Amino acid sequence: MALDDTEGKEYRWETGYEKTWEAIEEDAEGLLDTAIAEIIEKGRRRRLQERRAAGNVRLGIMRHLYIILDMSSSMLDQDLKPNRIMSTQKILEKFVDEFFDGNPMSQLGWIGTRNKTAEKIADMSGNSRKHVEVVKSLNNYACGGEPSFQNALEIALSSLRHMPSHTSREILLIHGSLTTCDPGDVNATIMDLSKNGVRTSVISLAAEVRACKAMSKETNGTFGVILDEGHFQDLVREHIEPPPMAGKSDSSLIKMGFPQRNRTDDPGVCLCHLEDTSVSKLAPGGYACPQCRSKYCELPVECKACSLTLVSAPHLARSFLHIFPLDPFEEIDAIQCICFGCNKSLPDKNKHVYQCKQCRRRFCLDCDLFLHETLHCCPGCSVASLCK
Amino acid sequence: MEVESNLLIVVIDVNPAQKYVRSDSKQFFNCVDSVLTFCNAHLMLQASNKACVIASHINQSHILYPIEEREGVTLKPIRQVDGQYEVFLELEKSVRSQIKKFVMSDAFTSFDSTRSADSSGNFTTCLASALGKALCYINRKERELTAGEKLNSRILVVSGSSESTAQYMSFMNVFFSAQKLGVIIDACVLGPYATLLSQGADITGGIYLRPPHIPGLLQYLLWVFLPEASLRKQLALPPPVPVDYRAACFCHRQLIDMGYVCSVCLSSK
Repeated sequence: MALDDTEGKEYRWETGYEKTWEAIEEDAEGLLDTAIAEIIEKGRRRRLQERRAAGNVRLGIMRHLYIILDMSSSMLDQDLKPNRIMSTQKILEKFVDEFFDGNPMSQLGWIGTRNKTAEKIADMSGNSRKHVEVVKSLNNYACGGEPSFQNALEIALSSLRHMPSHTSREILLIHGSLTTCDPGDVNATIMDLSKNGVRTSVISLAAEVRACKAMSKETNGTFGVILDEGHFQDLVREHIEPPPMAGKSDSSLIKMGFPQRNRTDDPGVCLCHLEDTSVSKLAPGGYACPQCRSKYCELPVECKACSLTLVSAPHLARSFLHIFPLDPFEEIDAIQCICFGCNKSLPDKNKHVYQCKQCRRRFCLDCDLFLHETLHCCPGCSVASLCK
Repeated sequence: MEVESNLLIVVIDVNPAQKYVRSDSKQFFNCVDSVLTFCNAHLMLQASNKACVIASHINQSHILYPIEEREGVTLKPIRQVDGQYEVFLELEKSVRSQIKKFVMSDAFTSFDSTRSADSSGNFTTCLASALGKALCYINRKERELTAGEKLNSRILVVSGSSESTAQYMSFMNVFFSAQKLGVIIDACVLGPYATLLSQGADITGGIYLRPPHIPGLLQYLLWVFLPEASLRKQLALPPPVPVDYRAACFCHRQLIDMGYVCSVCLSSK
């Protein structure tokens, strides 16, 4: 939590001396549990409120993110257990799942850099299962040599340049090496990135590198150096929520198709696996593009024949939760009542009762957190909306 | 050793405006009886199994069973009658008495008023609220587990109401949260085709079924919905219904095949 306020001050040692342990107090039974729970809870509430305070920031809901992975010999260092690359792999695996959970209409791509060159590990796509496999297949790539960040950035840029202007273009660079072997001036690439509105964020596993920090600053990205594995995870997780749109972006109406699942049992060949003859085969089911009737196994996808974006309604709906977040509940004094969510009789050991500002129903602490973090809607208000 | 238990939450629609209730109100008692028997059958499968019944009405939703003990109110301990398992009796008594209370107090007053009728004149049930409560309850039970215990939860919705688009967002939130928590939502629909519930069943991996013959509801419940999720792949269950995944446009609330989506707020036109 102390890391949150590193923004204004340049370095940790420039800030005042903080007695972080004084915030922890024992409760009546001499236990620390409630105090710790309270601190965690306060942090969560503050984060919720911060997001609220930012007002109506335009979020990039349709995201295009390239993850550039350093695969140089420095990733074999064992300061993270068992080594840097394996630890990264483990964290990224979780990230992929959560990323597509929070951004169902987004796409990911992977670029690796080692032996002074960069290569595309996986193209942009929106299929989470495929990306989990990509992360698992990183084992096949042996780390070695020196990385080349400029080459990697150029590859990412060449592909992001063509993405439609209403979507967000992002790069996340994870590096362990403090050096890079570049063919030219990296500053020119940085200028190019910022001109194209590519938001570049950097997570360093080793130490701060000036070029990286300058790059993230120039392109409105974030820069972080990890402290330990837990902090690494937090830094990666910050990229799950859609960032505010960088630079100028158009708001336009995009034509989309909402295909239905094929009802007939007649087999057909899908367009998504057409190139790969080993996988491509006749199969029933799938989704048909409403414009040109070509078949796809999975959504969301862009139709290869007529370039219509195909999505399903739940994909759209899932993105809504970033647009309509649930208002925070207010804390009220303990009164005897029953939690509207889980039917627990209150007040319990938390001594606080929470009330929805709109429907005035009361909830316990656990339900409050559950509703705000997972469910994103209030069961009381969905009743009220019907009674209007 | 790991102790596994199964939590079954039944959301029962007690809205008097359901079509099958309006055509023959006796069917409703049959439905309640079937659900109770079904819960008993679930409890009978394993001693550690748990059940919970939630009623959803026109403008409220309530947990009927288990009854929460409040301070100052002591529940009468239930004695065995005719050698029946006490839990069965407790379940039956509390569900029946609470449904009765529900119907007596509120049903007719709110049924007459027009405040809960939506634009098309339908009386919609607040199923989304009941499902939200079910997830809160599951969340609570998960937290109350001690080490070495495992809880498999699932939700069954028994409803015959028509759906309202006003609840669309809440429904979607519930379905995606359920998917995240690994809770499956089964839908047993006693009315017209329920688009949202069929989507929910598809998203969470549950079964959507419209029994063709409502008086035989119990048979359908026992055959299709009693087996746990892990057993279901061994069974030849009714084939999945094709799910309608089209989006409704914001201008006319009509389902469309192709449309224009705003890149900022994702409303479709």
